[in-house]
Amino acid sequence: MTDTGAAHEARIYEQGYRRYDGARTGVPGAIKTLVGHSVRAVLGLGRAARHKVMPLAVIAFAFTPAVVFVGVAALLPGDLEEGFLPSYAEYYGFVSAALFLFTAFVAPELLCTDRRTGMLGVYLASPLDRRTYLLGKTIAISSILAIVTIGPPLLLLIALSLEDAGPPTWSEGIRLGLRIIASGAMMSAFYAAISMAVSATTDRKGAATATTLGLLVGSAIVTNGLVEGGGLSTRILLGDLLNLPLQLAFRIHGEQGEWTGREVSTELMWLATIGIIALCAGWVWDRYRRMLVSR
Amino acid sequence: MARVTTTGTALRASDAPQGPTTGPTLVDADGLIKRYGSLTVLSGASFRIEPGITGLLGANGAGKTTLLGMMLGLHATDGGSLRVLGIDPYSAGAEVRARLGYAPEHHTLPPDIKASEFVRHVAELHGLPKTEATTRASDALWLVGLGEERFRPLGTMSTGQRQRVKLAQAIAHDPSLVLLDEPTDGLDPMQRDDMLALIRRIATEYDIDVVLSSHLLDEVQQICDGAVIIGEGRVLASGSLEQLRGSGSDIVIELDDPLTVSKVVEGLQAAGVTVRVDGRILVASGDSDSVFDVARDVCAETGAGITRLNRRRLSLEDVFLETTA
Repeated sequence: MTDTGAAHEARIYEQGYRRYDGARTGVPGAIKTLVGHSVRAVLGLGRAARHKVMPLAVIAFAFTPAVVFVGVAALLPGDLEEGFLPSYAEYYGFVSAALFLFTAFVAPELLCTDRRTGMLGVYLASPLDRRTYLLGKTIAISSILAIVTIGPPLLLLIALSLEDAGPPTWSEGIRLGLRIIASGAMMSAFYAAISMAVSATTDRKGAATATTLGLLVGSAIVTNGLVEGGGLSTRILLGDLLNLPLQLAFRIHGEQGEWTGREVSTELMWLATIGIIALCAGWVWDRYRRMLVSR
Repeated sequence: MARVTTTGTALRASDAPQGPTTGPTLVDADGLIKRYGSLTVLSGASFRIEPGITGLLGANGAGKTTLLGMMLGLHATDGGSLRVLGIDPYSAGAEVRARLGYAPEHHTLPPDIKASEFVRHVAELHGLPKTEATTRASDALWLVGLGEERFRPLGTMSTGQRQRVKLAQAIAHDPSLVLLDEPTDGLDPMQRDDMLALIRRIATEYDIDVVLSSHLLDEVQQICDGAVIIGEGRVLASGSLEQLRGSGSDIVIELDDPLTVSKVVEGLQAAGVTVRVDGRILVASGDSDSVFDVARDVCAETGAGITRLNRRRLSLEDVFLETTA
């Protein structure tokens, strides 16, 4: 038998199971994988179409006003458009429903599901530990919420700037962009903390979603009732979990919000926001620290 | 293929810790204590696990899963020491877990994820780059017999298929040691035999050491090289199966004529040997070397013909019953 050219070019592609001696990505790689997988799971990527409906509808709902405003700004003359367009802080009023829906949906989907399906045990049998697992999940949840809190106003800013309807100078544009990112990141962190705290308390997704929405709406009703009806100090509004970050966004943008003129200083609002985030983070950590995950 | 290299004698609770070994010790536990509140799950467990397949045997609730959790570094010890692959798993958990594969006991995996994506995800978590993880996930699923089914969502798979997926995710990243928690749970006898054969193959062909927890003695006896028997929070016995089964001190005497049984029993009892009778077979207890001599002499004096005279070989069930009694 003689060698032929074809025989020299032959390759074995099906090698079967074999040893792996290459480099490993370690804990940072595991966190990155966890974040990517979590984001894909929430957005329904790589899943059946029914898993995509809810997240895509919420995202579309959040971006639609921005698209409409950009379209209107392109059609209306400059003086009319100024009265029609909302400020960047006011824009959150248009997307708050989408934001609250995402807040109530994302964390339960990621945290409760992992516990109910035993994936938490699989994760903790990898180089991840409880701390790095929660870090990865926090990044994933905050990133998904940031799609709604940062994405639409940033799109509005860029589109309006391209239409010459945005900030008059580059430096003002950059400053505004940073404010959008800061307020969006603050809101993402705040709502992520609230929903993670609730999701760490129950394994039932539905219960976590309902409780998160109830907590947000309930706190607004109770605190506003106490201030408006009971005549108590307006500082009680700091316990309004629904509106605290939205009102703080007005302060970040230097705009007049509903709480302007009341005895709630910006410093107090920051303190309350950071305090609530820290409280929620402590609660989540305490729940996971005690959790038994052998099986 | 690495084999069990334990050279120390098989252990009973009173003998622990074990004698020196010639091979690299995979797991080394010394006086391990674990409590959950007032409940003591492990109270001074000492054992060594050597390369090969080792069965972690014990009744339900004996502490097998807790022990696996401690090997993974999920629980701190309340006393004693534990080293896995030479490292303390609780203080250097990430380092240990990168080299371990783990298949949990439960079957409730995420229902909407495809098997290939699940296995790839776990491989990436253990540090494999994405392309390598994708290839190896596919290879691992082919190895466990799910090559054609790898794009099916886990929720549509049978219990047997999910057990195989769990095995595939445990080996896809090429671990040094695989921990399998009740890998045959929920399988019918045929599936169970297939799964055991697969585990044996993974250990022999691919040189991956395995620790499997089970409460089924026969499956440990079928594929394991060694066993650690846990009960009441302690290690009741451990070592290679050969050592565990050959460790009985009783002597079996099989006589060729049933009519000679009573005379031989009388002779043995007169010499101070305790005897149990089962037809033509006598089981004599006592110091094994002297019992051999006594049995030989008694048979010679009574003219009884001997068909068999040997040290009694225990089944794993005998060892288990004896140690848990």
